[in-house]
Amino acid sequence: MNSLPPVKIKRPASVLVRDFFEHNQEDLKLRMVGTDDGLSRRILEPSVNRPGLALSGFFTYFAYKRVQVIGNSELSFLGGLKPELARQRFSQLCSQDIPCIVLARGRMIPQDLIEIANEAGITVMQTSMITMKFINQATIKLDYHFAPMTLIHACLVDVQGIGVLVQGDSGTGKSEAVIGLLQRGCSLVADDVVRLRLIEERDVVGSAPETTQNMIEIRGLGILNVAALFGVGAVRLTKRVDLVVRLRAGIETSELERVGMGERKVPLMGIDTPTVEIPVAPGRDVASLIELAALNYKLKAFGYNSAVDFDQRLLKKMADRQLG
Amino acid sequence: MQKDFVIQNKMGMHARPAAQFVKCASRFKCDIWVEKDEEPVNGKSIMGLMMLAAGRGETISITTEGEDEEQAMAELEALVTSGFGDSE
Repeated sequence: MNSLPPVKIKRPASVLVRDFFEHNQEDLKLRMVGTDDGLSRRILEPSVNRPGLALSGFFTYFAYKRVQVIGNSELSFLGGLKPELARQRFSQLCSQDIPCIVLARGRMIPQDLIEIANEAGITVMQTSMITMKFINQATIKLDYHFAPMTLIHACLVDVQGIGVLVQGDSGTGKSEAVIGLLQRGCSLVADDVVRLRLIEERDVVGSAPETTQNMIEIRGLGILNVAALFGVGAVRLTKRVDLVVRLRAGIETSELERVGMGERKVPLMGIDTPTVEIPVAPGRDVASLIELAALNYKLKAFGYNSAVDFDQRLLKKMADRQLG
Repeated sequence: MQKDFVIQNKMGMHARPAAQFVKCASRFKCDIWVEKDEEPVNGKSIMGLMMLAAGRGETISITTEGEDEEQAMAELEALVTSGFGDSE
């Protein structure tokens, strides 16, 4: 493969509050209760903070880079303060360059406090989740937003639950093979450009860049909307990459895997990922070969290796003969 | 070789210009990468170029690498600096 791009791994240093809100609105059950002026602020650390100490007046080591979560205890503390003092502490909190404030358990703070945040240009949101649950989920989401990422020239398909990244030079028929897979009930994650993220230094998760989501380009037909053509079941937003299938045109048979005892791997964002090479030639049904590769991967993951089984049969037969 | 360009045409690099770019790029043997905001995509991929969503006034960087890299760069340069033949 000669045209692998100069892989550039980006590590986001910050995340826009807007992106955090828009991407996780549903999952984190968020809604905005204050100004949206603060959506252009940035979250600088992939974590949340409970500003209890800050509200009590202690701002040393205050974790202002994180999403500020106000739960029951902060609320009852605020409620116990004289209104004037509550306002003073809250405006002090809002003057700390924090990204945003989230109220948990669907609770509200008094309108005058919302006004203070609005004036400071800080967005106040509310989640119906309980505080601990929100904190857990939000941390996972933030990890995703802050994960190292890269763009790769490939297609990503979910084949019976296996995330298959299809690579190959321009013109090897990646997208055409993907269409074949969609017709067999697989679903498309991304065509031709895949955004990969390394999650927890362990999983490589792919998605489509927003502009190309659900779209596929087929030479001679142009750009097609897969969700509209095959139904929404034929697309999915993200998928972990389990297997890398490399399509290769014009290679010597001698270079190819013929038995399949071992497992070949390629590094993908530093993670060793199982891989197979499939020769592309007129008359070969590449889609069904990719499906087969995915199923075989699944079988191996369950602990069964056809080639090893076959080899053992052979060995046993020879051993039996020598004994007899 | 590598060169930076500012997108000139009013509508930016939308579907038609992207298709023109890919058509031009695909005629060459060399590898072609187009980069915006430190994210390189394959210059022979329509999806890649459209994903960049390079608007007017934004800078893209083109890299060509291989035997016919000079000619590829010259033709792509002509295409981009002409504003992809868009009327404005």
